Amino acid sequence: MKKKFVGEKAEKTIYAILAIATFFLAWAFITTFTAAKETTPGPIEVLKLLVTSFFQPIGRYTVYGHLYYSIRRVLIGYTVATVLGIIVGLSMGTSRYAEAIIKPIFEMIRPIPPIAWIPLVILWFGVGELPKYAIIFIGSFTNVTLNAYTGAQRVDPTLVGCARMLGTSERDIFLRVILPSSMPQIFAGMQVALSTAWMAVLAAEMIGAQEGCGWIILRGSDTTNIPLVLVGMVIIGVVGLFLATIMRMAERKVCAWNRMDV
Amino acid sequence: MEPNGRIEKPIITLDHVSKRFESAGRVKEVVNDVSLEVNENEFVVLFGPGQCGKTTMINLIAGLELASEGTVTVDEKQVDGPGADRGVVYQTTALFPFCSVMGNVEFGPKSRGIDKKARRERAQYFIDLVGLQGFEKSYPNQLSGGMRQRVGIARAYCNDPKVMLMDEPFGHLDAQTRYMMEEELEKIWQKEKRTVVFVTNNIEEAIYLADRIILLTNCPTTIKQEYVVELPRPRSYVDPEFLKLRRIILENTDETL
Amino acid sequence: MSEENIKVRVTNLTKKFGDLLVLDDISFDVKQGEFLCIVGPTGCGKTTFLNSLTKLYDLTAGEILINGEPVDLKKHNIAYILQEYSAFPWLTVEENIKYGLKIKKFSAEEIQKRADEVIEMVGLKDYLSYYPDQLSASMLQRVVIARAFAVQPELLLMDEPYGQLDVSLRFKLEDELIRLWKKTGTTVIFITHNIEEAVYLSERILVLTNKPTKIKKEINNPLPRPRDVTAEDFVAIRNHVTDLIKWW
Repeated sequence: MKKKFVGEKAEKTIYAILAIATFFLAWAFITTFTAAKETTPGPIEVLKLLVTSFFQPIGRYTVYGHLYYSIRRVLIGYTVATVLGIIVGLSMGTSRYAEAIIKPIFEMIRPIPPIAWIPLVILWFGVGELPKYAIIFIGSFTNVTLNAYTGAQRVDPTLVGCARMLGTSERDIFLRVILPSSMPQIFAGMQVALSTAWMAVLAAEMIGAQEGCGWIILRGSDTTNIPLVLVGMVIIGVVGLFLATIMRMAERKVCAWNRMDV
Repeated sequence: MEPNGRIEKPIITLDHVSKRFESAGRVKEVVNDVSLEVNENEFVVLFGPGQCGKTTMINLIAGLELASEGTVTVDEKQVDGPGADRGVVYQTTALFPFCSVMGNVEFGPKSRGIDKKARRERAQYFIDLVGLQGFEKSYPNQLSGGMRQRVGIARAYCNDPKVMLMDEPFGHLDAQTRYMMEEELEKIWQKEKRTVVFVTNNIEEAIYLADRIILLTNCPTTIKQEYVVELPRPRSYVDPEFLKLRRIILENTDETL
Repeated sequence: MSEENIKVRVTNLTKKFGDLLVLDDISFDVKQGEFLCIVGPTGCGKTTFLNSLTKLYDLTAGEILINGEPVDLKKHNIAYILQEYSAFPWLTVEENIKYGLKIKKFSAEEIQKRADEVIEMVGLKDYLSYYPDQLSASMLQRVVIARAFAVQPELLLMDEPYGQLDVSLRFKLEDELIRLWKKTGTTVIFITHNIEEAVYLSERILVLTNKPTKIKKEINNPLPRPRDVTAEDFVAIRNHVTDLIKWW
């Protein structure tokens, strides 16, 4: 019993490390002993290329440069999507009119993959940075909006009535009751949106980019340099994991009230 | 009493109030022609069986529901919506889960733009009064059921309402915690006199707290009888007079459907 | 108390969570057909007590015997009525009542016979095809009670089943419970926070202490039935128990 209470966290960490180690071992095994070795580079090879790419530029930049561009694009597109998504989602969840007007359009646009927008986005914004932000925005906007919408719908109506009885203005009810009530749900949406934003990086960097993690993959693909493709994939995976962790920490801070174990 | 010797006016008046709900084309009458006056600083308990329209009556006074017929007047103003002159303590506590105890208690004054120092001072006074000093920074989900209800009471008081409306606030507590909260509420009320309309389906609680018990019928709710409770406070649950009154009222109460 | 009359014997019941002692060496007997109430202060480890009695938790020490044998849920016929109404929402009243009997694999005739008996006893005849959602709180309680009695349990464990009901309804259901208990001769252990309820129902009351839980006192309750909550001797026992528990 006691071991279970005290050791739970350590145990989880051990499992995580074991899982990742198993993954790499399996990768190494398959690319050493099976037919896949003809086509697929093993982890050692990819790791070597990754390490060298910190010193030797791929295209114009080393990995640092590519990371800088990709992260900048993701953060800008994602931040705008989050802010707008929260506003639109909460309005949809609190106003019947907003819901009736926005929801059908939204449901229609939702299933269209970000990549499909590329031609239109190029037409509208050209080939600079702006269309890249736009693609990432499209990739993350829906998740935040929908979650904010659900969050606002689930706000306990007693709490809203209670705030009214305490003399709270409608604007304050939005800011001090509905927004914080929906926060756990919004964070769930932001988590998912962060990964879809990263997924959209590849699509975004198809638009005349000369740098970025997505571009590394595209470049590898164009030159049939499979190790380079894998380097791009590993970078996106690791950075995604890192950002998700930061996000979870932020959620713990903001939604501390929602945890039973504080 | 007013200085000129007039009899004091009732602070809450329900004048031939009825409330009907319509759903799916059917009309359901929940409150039927209720007239009631509550005097300043009086503790009135609305007592009735299970699903009668007690909560609806509280909501009508609160302005969270509007009467289908008749008028509800609080402090000489006709009720046409929610307002800070009426404080509500809810059955489910309805604390803001994302606010600390302090955040909850000062929510009302903050809404009304009272400056931080004044509202903090006031909130602290009521937190101390309900015995929660030391828990100011705790969140509601860290508190026990009894403590949450204390926060609910402090929050309602801190907004300085003319009347307090309490909707079965101790309904979810176990029997012992309930006794404790009833004692506490009585003490708080003695110290911070206020007009209270209190809803319950627990007869012990009704007699322990009330100046006057309004016995309600099953749905649609009407007033069946009134009982003035003149036992000296604080009362004892096992006092023969207490037990006698309890039997009389229970025998007159409609069966829960 | 002669040995053959003992239905349940609990000896040295002890439970620790890690280093935290929750139940401290509890021993008591329950006679065949007895109605035993257990009351304790709020937060006295009531749930741990119940879960240990039903072997949901491994005991740190001590043993529980039913009819002189270690308790075994497969062998012994124990029924529970817990705080939350636990009628299956997707089954009708009749199916709910028959549920336990089906699990115990009785013959179809036996199931029908027993179900009819309890349905008659609690007066649910007109509600057989209703679903739990369509019933009032009192009817729902009757379904739960009927289901428990249908299996003719040798031991019925009840955990504050009437905590959230209003008082007049509670009295009514308590009277019904007593009637069923007398008729069936089932042994009942009833756990509650409500002192008046304990005095109203029990033949004997075990008063528990705060954590770590011990038995503070055992009180015999020979009041004649039907009991009157306003009677002097009733109030005397109620006051006695209250004095032992009072923390508020």
